[in-house]
Amino acid sequence: MRFHPSPDPLTETVSFVDRKLNRRQFLKFQFKGALWLAAGAALLSRPLALQAGAVPDISVVKGDTGAATRAAVAQLGGMQAFVKPGDRVVIKPNMSFGNGTANASNTTPEVVRELVAMTKEAGAARVRVLDNTLSQPGPSIADIKAACGIFNEDIVHALNDYSFYQPTKLNDSWLGFNKTDVMQDVLKADCLIAAPTAKSHSSTGVSLSMKGMMGLVHDRWTMHQQGLDKAIVTLAAFLKPKLVVVDATRVLSTNGPRGPGKIIPMNTVIASADMVAADAKTVEMCTWYGKRFKPRQIKHIRLAHEAGLGRMDIENLTIKQTEV
Amino acid sequence: MISSQRIIQGLSLTVFVAALCQAPRALLSLWPADGFIRLDPLVFLGTALADRQFAPLLWVAAAVLLLALVLGRFFCAYLCPLGTTLDITDRLLCAQRKARLKKRAGPPLRSYQNHVLLYILGAAVLGISLVFFASPLSLITRFYGLIIYPLGAFLADMGLTALRPAADRLDLTTLAYAVVKAPRYDLQWLTLLLLLGIFAGGLWSPRFWCRYLCPSGALLALFAIKPLVRRRVSGDCTKCGLCVEKCPMGAIGGPGADGSEHPDLTRHKECIACLSCVRICPVQAVSFDLKPPWEIPGPDAILPDTGESAAGERRRLLAAGLSGAATAMVSLTGLKSPHAEPGPGSIVHPSVIRPPGAVPENDFLARCIRCGACLTACPTNTLQPLGLAAGLTAFFSPVVTPRRGPCDPGCHACGAVCPTGAIPWLPPAERRSAKVGTARLDRRKCLAWEFDKKCLICDEVCPYDAVEFRVVPGQPVPVPFIREYKCAGCGYCEHHCPVRAVPAIVVTPMLALRLAEGSHREMAREMGYSLEVGKKMDGPPNYPGQDASTPPELDENGLPPGFTE
Repeated sequence: MRFHPSPDPLTETVSFVDRKLNRRQFLKFQFKGALWLAAGAALLSRPLALQAGAVPDISVVKGDTGAATRAAVAQLGGMQAFVKPGDRVVIKPNMSFGNGTANASNTTPEVVRELVAMTKEAGAARVRVLDNTLSQPGPSIADIKAACGIFNEDIVHALNDYSFYQPTKLNDSWLGFNKTDVMQDVLKADCLIAAPTAKSHSSTGVSLSMKGMMGLVHDRWTMHQQGLDKAIVTLAAFLKPKLVVVDATRVLSTNGPRGPGKIIPMNTVIASADMVAADAKTVEMCTWYGKRFKPRQIKHIRLAHEAGLGRMDIENLTIKQTEV
Repeated sequence: MISSQRIIQGLSLTVFVAALCQAPRALLSLWPADGFIRLDPLVFLGTALADRQFAPLLWVAAAVLLLALVLGRFFCAYLCPLGTTLDITDRLLCAQRKARLKKRAGPPLRSYQNHVLLYILGAAVLGISLVFFASPLSLITRFYGLIIYPLGAFLADMGLTALRPAADRLDLTTLAYAVVKAPRYDLQWLTLLLLLGIFAGGLWSPRFWCRYLCPSGALLALFAIKPLVRRRVSGDCTKCGLCVEKCPMGAIGGPGADGSEHPDLTRHKECIACLSCVRICPVQAVSFDLKPPWEIPGPDAILPDTGESAAGERRRLLAAGLSGAATAMVSLTGLKSPHAEPGPGSIVHPSVIRPPGAVPENDFLARCIRCGACLTACPTNTLQPLGLAAGLTAFFSPVVTPRRGPCDPGCHACGAVCPTGAIPWLPPAERRSAKVGTARLDRRKCLAWEFDKKCLICDEVCPYDAVEFRVVPGQPVPVPFIREYKCAGCGYCEHHCPVRAVPAIVVTPMLALRLAEGSHREMAREMGYSLEVGKKMDGPPNYPGQDASTPPELDENGLPPGFTE
């Protein structure tokens, strides 16, 4: 097991992975977590109190993985702003590769686990963590599955079989990439949450929330034939997650999407309801191939912005940046 | 009451099928998937002759032969999964058989077992293994592994798909997401028709195959002329003839001097000691006892098998052996025969990518009995039976088919189940170095090179990090390069390449490591390969023919792959 719980205040009270929680312990844990978060927010966000009350467009939190994930969502109004009681939720992390946790090519398991916990707190009736993995499903999802073991539920699945997909019209165009087979669970879901890991991608520059939507369709090969950047925007316009949480705790800054490449620890989680803004902020914040870039330098982000799918002009957006 | 024979048969068949069908987890199973195959005496002798050495895994079949000196052909009645399957199909065909025989009972058939045996051994003497034509264990492993197992998986998948909506509603998550991937195999009709032909023998007689054709039975018969434990009939026999009628092998009685049946006489070479005659005898006159030879009251055996003249039979047997040798020689003169001398003029078919760790081709073909255990065991279904691409002698041998599935570097299920050592099992570090071929890129079909599309799938999926995308002047998108010295031929790239029909990246058997002995790891290092899974290359590559003019990683604007100005 490569995954170890970090000693942040949210997790040090209960060790997660090695034993399963019963319901009472779980509730207690949630309560403590909420207290810590309230305390943390009260202490740390004072300098930004000017914006108090207004929900920012982008939330950026630096800190220990679990706590940062929680705080990043809390700054956007908490999970209840996105998940209503009784909702069916699908979380889409990156979990395509067997050694993905070590190579930072899969989403950090702790981020996914915190997201699942938060959706459950918000009253989600059903939570699924799904991906169409590129390599052997078993080892690819193993770490995230283990991290989500505390929920005593079979939440994490690699859906690679065609029977889980349904032919779907993406838009009314009769040209180009206009229909594909989409994961049935996603079509039936009330809320889709994208939880990509921040990584480079040797053909699209970076692979973040928009690129990650390719893991929710069956035939991603066609998308390469159609022209990847355009196809990514078409698909993202159809799937459009309600919430994006980018795991930039460790950034795979070269040789993505699979790695191994240079991993830069950032200890940061970026969240937004706008997938283009979340991706743009991530591009702007991180170092890629030893350099800094503007969001418009990623073609699919630029196309999405131009199509009105979201905003890449982050300088005009409200950003709440904190540390926990 | 169920006889002990049926119980043992049932158990044997169950273990055989269970071990075979959970062959994907072969390393975990207690009973080896090839446990029964290794008991087949023909596999032992035929492979030893063709391969010019005794495979260590097969000695257990020699024990079966030696045991025949004591117990006769017990293997046929109790252990052989083909025999058990034939008992089942014979039962199903019972009514039709009786109707047939009532209409017209033909003359007694002659056994061709010895001829089949000598034909195969004749070819084996010249180094060509035709064991797969008629080895009962090879035949039945193909039947269960390549026909029944995929069918079962297919049905299970249909069932799961039908159950899914209900399971989803009831929140039975694990069931709702359960999937059984049914494997698909090439040449399945051929496999099936051959077996159906063998089963159809039941229309003429029970155990038709075992009586008249099985070469392994013939080998066992040589050791079972007068086994120590054999059928004996006491003086209580009323000569009712019930046993003569019921013997599945037709091994009892025969025309005596007076033209009458002789239930007290047995052709021991044909007796499989199933004990049917003991069970049905109304006066309990039949027993199978271990008695010293001098205590036997009178003759209990019928020695001449047929009324044929011994000289005629000898001529036919010689002809069978020579036919086998002739078949081998004709095969060796074929254009595609892999047995030709290496070098210019010898043709290696590009689709003949052997499983990882397979011994050099000639040894491989001598050992491979085409049982298909590796095909059943292969979790990605990449192993497929070869057609005639490499000639008759390589027919039905396993090849890696990347278009169907990649060959996972962490898996050596094929090596774990191979009964004859054609694919010796390798420990994980050795396995990862067992290069099966090399990928080759066709730039004229590549989406990135030719169509300016941002495609990088081959790089994304390569576990050996053998594909590199570079920004090249004049190319609007990053384009792939293969680092051959890092490529193990696993075929992830070919499998996932979005270019249809012939993909833009194809694995061919070029530079495959085929070692008779020694370490693949050492050999790979010797050759300058760097076959590491998911590891960064340390130091500059050093291999023959390396391209020194490495294109820059950044384009003329100083941009890394995928970034624009």
